[in-house]
Amino acid sequence: MSAEPAVAQPAPQPGTAQSLVRVEGVVKHFPAGFGTSVKAVDGVSFEIREGETLGLVGESGCGKSTLARLITQLVPVTAGRVYLGDVELTKLRGEKLRQQRRQLQMIFQDPFASLDPRMTVGDIIAEPLDNFGVMRGKKRNERVQELLRIVGLNPNFNNRYPHEFSGGQRQRIGIARALALNPKLVVCDEAISALDVSIQAQIVNLLEDLQQQFKLTYLFIAHDLSVVRHISDRVMVMYLGKIVEVADSASIYGDPKHPYTKALLSAIPVPDPKIQRGRRLVELSGEIPSPIHPPSGCRFHTRCPIAHIPTPCADAEPPLEEKVSAHLAACHFWRDV
Amino acid sequence: MASPILQVRHLKTHFPTHQGTVRAVDDVSFELYPGETLGIVGESGSGKSITALSLLRLVPDPGRIVGGEIIFKNDDIMKMSGEDVRELRGRDIAMIFQDPQSSLNPVLKVGYQIDEAMISHGRPRSEARTRTIELLKRVRIPAAESRVNDFPHQLSGGMRQRAMIAMGLANAPQILIADEPTTALDVTVQAQILELLGDLNRELGTAIVMITHNMGVVAGLCTRVIVMYAGRIVEQGPVDTIFENPQHPYTWSLLRSVPRVDALRHDRLRSIEGIAPDLLRPPKGCRFHPRCPFRIEKCYTDEPELMNVAPDDLAACWVTMDRARKEMNADAITDIRPGAGSGYHRGEVG
Repeated sequence: MSAEPAVAQPAPQPGTAQSLVRVEGVVKHFPAGFGTSVKAVDGVSFEIREGETLGLVGESGCGKSTLARLITQLVPVTAGRVYLGDVELTKLRGEKLRQQRRQLQMIFQDPFASLDPRMTVGDIIAEPLDNFGVMRGKKRNERVQELLRIVGLNPNFNNRYPHEFSGGQRQRIGIARALALNPKLVVCDEAISALDVSIQAQIVNLLEDLQQQFKLTYLFIAHDLSVVRHISDRVMVMYLGKIVEVADSASIYGDPKHPYTKALLSAIPVPDPKIQRGRRLVELSGEIPSPIHPPSGCRFHTRCPIAHIPTPCADAEPPLEEKVSAHLAACHFWRDV
Repeated sequence: MASPILQVRHLKTHFPTHQGTVRAVDDVSFELYPGETLGIVGESGSGKSITALSLLRLVPDPGRIVGGEIIFKNDDIMKMSGEDVRELRGRDIAMIFQDPQSSLNPVLKVGYQIDEAMISHGRPRSEARTRTIELLKRVRIPAAESRVNDFPHQLSGGMRQRAMIAMGLANAPQILIADEPTTALDVTVQAQILELLGDLNRELGTAIVMITHNMGVVAGLCTRVIVMYAGRIVEQGPVDTIFENPQHPYTWSLLRSVPRVDALRHDRLRSIEGIAPDLLRPPKGCRFHPRCPFRIEKCYTDEPELMNVAPDDLAACWVTMDRARKEMNADAITDIRPGAGSGYHRGEVG
């Protein structure tokens, strides 16, 4: 049910900025039949600071989207606590939770599936306003037009339908909807992954502008490490339900302290043939193990190029600790990375 | 240079729809040389995948190849009988796709499917299995002897793509067309597959046509690159030349709009404003002109052909980046806005 008791959960590091979201020892297990469970998120603790962009990266199946849904309370936690400011979200139910959700908005990956094709763009953007009954009539429509302008669309598009828009424009509509209630935290779950490269840059720039303008905090989830590097102040790397490394963007990319992070970085192709030919791939052996039966000890030991097997890597789980100033990693041999 | 193994001349593939004709591929010509690795890059709707499918006459309905020649060695694939094209597919030119899940039959064992790829081209069944195991080893599938008896769902995404590559190589084709083979895979697996393709190209001499939207993939694997936009080739040449000194404003913009994992955080990404044109009604003149920072009057009316802009570099542009740098201060541009460099905005023409 809970995370291994032997492993101490490191308390979130007190940051320089105030924390907006605190996640403490959060676990999510999904039942997988025959008494087994998928350990999607398995004991993670971290904070998201006010006004920052926290990048979250990892391969498919590492639990990053589940973590996003736990923070926004779209799925209940199996164990652990999630705080928004001083309010413990994991304790709230019903109307009280609904009111807190105003502060937490999401932008989704698929700009086609995330907009109702039978609603006008105006109604899509106004849905959060209607849900919370904050504005009606003329004021509501003015707000919709204002939001359309904010995301760089023609304010007179409010009577059109989603199919009349391109992928990039639809993503702008999704962003307008997320901003309607002036949220504090916006979770971008692969928000630009489905877009063409020339459109990605437009949306990334828009997100950055909006952050400045409205003092937004972002949790930016993506598998594209180049975009994450560009947009994030700090970056968190997940592997098989655990956080393996957290640090500010420059040190995680410049000086990774976990072999998994290093392997991920080496795998990103650089659009420069001369540099790309000279780069060396840190090859990971095998495939990502099943989250139903995660490996013992350090979960990465089955694929790790520097693991000492069996001791300690296969039998002791390395705690996520501060290795150098403000740089946390969960590796017994972080000095060898 | 050796003579090309494949010559595409004035290829046009159109899709009639009830709103009009979509010119998905509109007069595309290029060559592929034996053993080379050619990248075709472009965004969605650029025509790169339809170009690849056209090479094997696999264009989905209602698409039709309405013009052009596709010369493989000395034969025009366009003029072959259906029977001959079927023979050619897989034997001389093989293709692998983005989604290995849907390219494999879920109810047949992987080994059986690879066997069939050879048996249908005349190899006796008794020899096929040995070769299948050899191929699976070649694409580095561990425990190949037992993996042949797995069903596709028992393999991971990366393994399935390896199995597809093994199937593609089964008849030792001279050309392997790979249509976004790594797009659905995680980056670590993508890197392994790209390395494998590079090794196979060097060891077996199979020419590879790599269709992708990812400039990084091209930089790592390919020696030559074709850049497509709105159904046409806008630039082509050796990767080193094109990446270092692109001459078409679209190539230049594309390379500048992607954040790089090896670069410091920029203040801002240089995005390309606007969206790709509607291929039902492509813009007059140069198809990139509505988004181009360096357009001049001519770009609105006259469509540029591919021309030699540098010894190795073909680009379809009236201005080209050398001139944009000299006369329009191109490198100082931060936002790639239409007309940003030239000061030539739509309102200014009549």
